[in-house]
Order: sequence, then structure tokens, then C-alpha cells
Amino acid sequence: MQVQTHRVEGTQEKTWKFSDIIGDPVVGARWEKVRRYFFLRESTYDMTNRCNIRCDGCYYYEGAKQFAHENGNPADWRHLMKDEKARGITYVVLAGAEPSLEPELCQVCFEEMPLGAIASNGLRPIPGSINYRIHISVWGDDKTSLRVRKAKDMLVRQIANYQGDPRAVFVYTFTRDNIDQIHGVMEVLARHRCKVTLNVFSSPVGYNGPLRHTLQSLSRTRKTMMALISQYPENLLFSPYSAVAHTHMVGLHGLYSCSYPRMNTSTAIGLGRSFRQYRADLTWDRGAACCVPDTDCNDCRHYAAGSAVVTARLFRHASDPDTFKSWLDYVDTYLAVWVMGYEKDVNLCDHMVSPPGHDLPED
Amino acid sequence: MTHPNDISKIIVRIAEIMIDELKLEDVTPETFDPEIDLIDEVGIDSMDLATIALVLRDEYGIVIDEDDYPKLNNIRLIAEYIQKRVDEGKQG
Repeated sequence: MQVQTHRVEGTQEKTWKFSDIIGDPVVGARWEKVRRYFFLRESTYDMTNRCNIRCDGCYYYEGAKQFAHENGNPADWRHLMKDEKARGITYVVLAGAEPSLEPELCQVCFEEMPLGAIASNGLRPIPGSINYRIHISVWGDDKTSLRVRKAKDMLVRQIANYQGDPRAVFVYTFTRDNIDQIHGVMEVLARHRCKVTLNVFSSPVGYNGPLRHTLQSLSRTRKTMMALISQYPENLLFSPYSAVAHTHMVGLHGLYSCSYPRMNTSTAIGLGRSFRQYRADLTWDRGAACCVPDTDCNDCRHYAAGSAVVTARLFRHASDPDTFKSWLDYVDTYLAVWVMGYEKDVNLCDHMVSPPGHDLPED
Repeated sequence: MTHPNDISKIIVRIAEIMIDELKLEDVTPETFDPEIDLIDEVGIDSMDLATIALVLRDEYGIVIDEDDYPKLNNIRLIAEYIQKRVDEGKQG
């Protein structure tokens, strides 16, 4: 097989060498910036079975993991973190069901593993001594949150807890029925100088409710994302390629072949070798292991999944300058969202580029 | 460019690229054991391999399929893979 070529419309096929692509000083500098983080190797951990709210379409309360017996012993968690470090894990994601209910365990994790993130609903502040990124989930305006998450004044309370906190990134999840609400939510978050990134609702296995996306809602989501990128460059951590990857009619697995163990049987290298998803009892199951277990893989467009799956496909994105710039924008975005102290730069590619081997999504 | 059919030269060139790209210390292209397990013993991962694959693509004009990464866990195997692909390219 010979090197890939890239056809520019109306011109001859051009074969790009990688050295030529990164020979552009701006592209080369961005490449050097992101590759310093290639050492990150993640695993995820359910901290508890409990949550202080109950949201429609929550992946945590699907499948067997919700029934695991909680291990709340800090010494056991410290031991686990030491073992994780020993097998090469360098980044932890503390997730289900609501980690803020177990601040002592989060503190233990931070003391042993300095890089990580916590997925929280943001209703209960996490102590400042735990210097992880904190992802605060937003699923629409407060009227919608009351209906879908059964919690009053969510955004008001989330902002009160995390305004001005350098750890905080608000994660707005587009469902089928909250697309237009982002404008009001984003205006409020920007006014409070909050950082925001965008997510796409990914149905749990068997879920066919009103939040599940359709081709039409994905298209509307994509257009909305592109408008927001232009409108909120200071607050929004996102890129045009992020919009393409997460709203394509083909999900992340179809576009990039998911590399998490649940969909990847290889144990030789990469996520298939190192990734584990621990339940609250500190056990893990390779057959269920991914960043959002019990999500329907064919409908998965989750931001956490993309952060690993798109990033892992470096080689196939090094085909031409625009595709590689788009990949760099994606990785720059993911690092800013997940790594404390990492600052996102301006996007290098201001337009949508098709994923390798696929067409641009149809509008 | 290294003569593609000389496996020992390809091995040394891959070692040079690895040392340079991955900033490996305490090893030279000549002392880099071509049989050492790159994943278990050197500690490189999929992103490192993808980076190396891109440099090798420039150097030898061949594509290393992402699905083949798990099989290429030492420098000799990578060199043999390159040699085979180069030969296929000449015939094809």
C-alpha cells in the first residue's frame, strides 16, 4: 500500500508528507503543544451508587453497575490508586453516580493521582483541595432541568457553586428537545465568565425516549454548535471538527472504530490494554468497559468517548493540512476540557472537514 | 534514503527515529535492541506508534495500518513489515 493522497477539487491529487504538514510553523507548534500530553492514560471510577437527583436517560442507572456494593473505605481507594499508577494509569475520571457525595474518596484519589476530572451535577461544591477538572452537567434551561432532572434552579445553583472556579467546565448536553435553549443558557454562563463545552446525548441501551436524537435534530445541533463557536470564542471550548464528529449521522464507533475494551478485543496496546471502568465496589468488567457504560454504542456521540476515540486516530488524520488542523483543534479542545492548566488556543481550521473515509454530515 | 531492502539499515533508521521522536535516553541507534518489546519494556503506547508510523510513511512511502500496530511490538518486526510493504509496492 502506498501513501495516501488527497484530492483538492479541480486540481491534481496531492500527496502530503507529514513533515510538510507540520512544516507550517503554526501547525508544527500546535503539534508540539498537544503531543506533550500523549502520556495520558485514563481509567474511570464510579465513586458511589447514589445521586442527589435522578435524570431521565442517565446511563449510570442502566445495567448492572448501579447494583454494585459500595466500597467507601478510603484505605481501599488509596490502595487502588497506587495499583493503578503502577500499571501505568496517569489520568482518572471520577464519575458515577455523583462523586461530590464522596469528597473524602475524591481527595484520596487526588492525593495519589494528580491528573483527573470529576463528572458532577454541580449541586454540591467539591472542596477546592481536590484540584481536578470538574465537569458540570447542564441539560437545558432550568425549566427543562426541572422536568428532565427533577431539580429546581439547577443553573443558578451550579453557577453559585462554581463561578470563578478555574476547575469548572460546564458541559451542555444537546438532547433532541433542548437545542434552542443553549442560546439562553450560554448567554447566562458567558455573563458569569464560565467555560463551556458541548456534548451530544447518547442513548443508553434500549432507550427510545424523547431525548434520543434524529437526523434532523443532529443537523440542527450541528448548525447551532457552529454558530456558538463564532459567537462565544472566549467561553466555548469547542471546534468545527468537534461539531462534525459528534453530530455525524454515523456515530463515533462507525466513524473511528471505538478503541475502548467494550468494542475492542485487542489487549496489546492503547485503551484496549490499559483502560478499566471500575464500579463502586472496585471491581471491573472488561466486557462492559468504556467511558459511558450501558450506552448504545451505535448511538454514542458522547464527548468523553470522542476525547479518546478521535484523538487515537492520529494517523488517518495526517492526510492533508486541513484534516490534520481539524484533528489538532479537536485534541486541543479535549485537553483544555480535561486537563487542569491546559489553555485552548484559537482553532486552526475554521470550517467543517469530513472525517477520514466519510462524507461531511448532510444538512 | 536508506536502501529499503537492507534490513539492518532499516532497523538502525527506525531506532534513530524512535530515539529522536520519543526523546529516549540512555540508548543509541546502534545499541537499541531490535528485539526489545517496545510496549512492555520501552513503555511506548499507541500514540507514540502512530507518530512513528507517520515519520516512517514519509521516509519509506508506506502506510502502516492502524490494525497492525499490536503486531509491531519490536523494531525488527517493524523493519520486516516495512521491507514487505516496500517490496509489494515495487511489484504492484
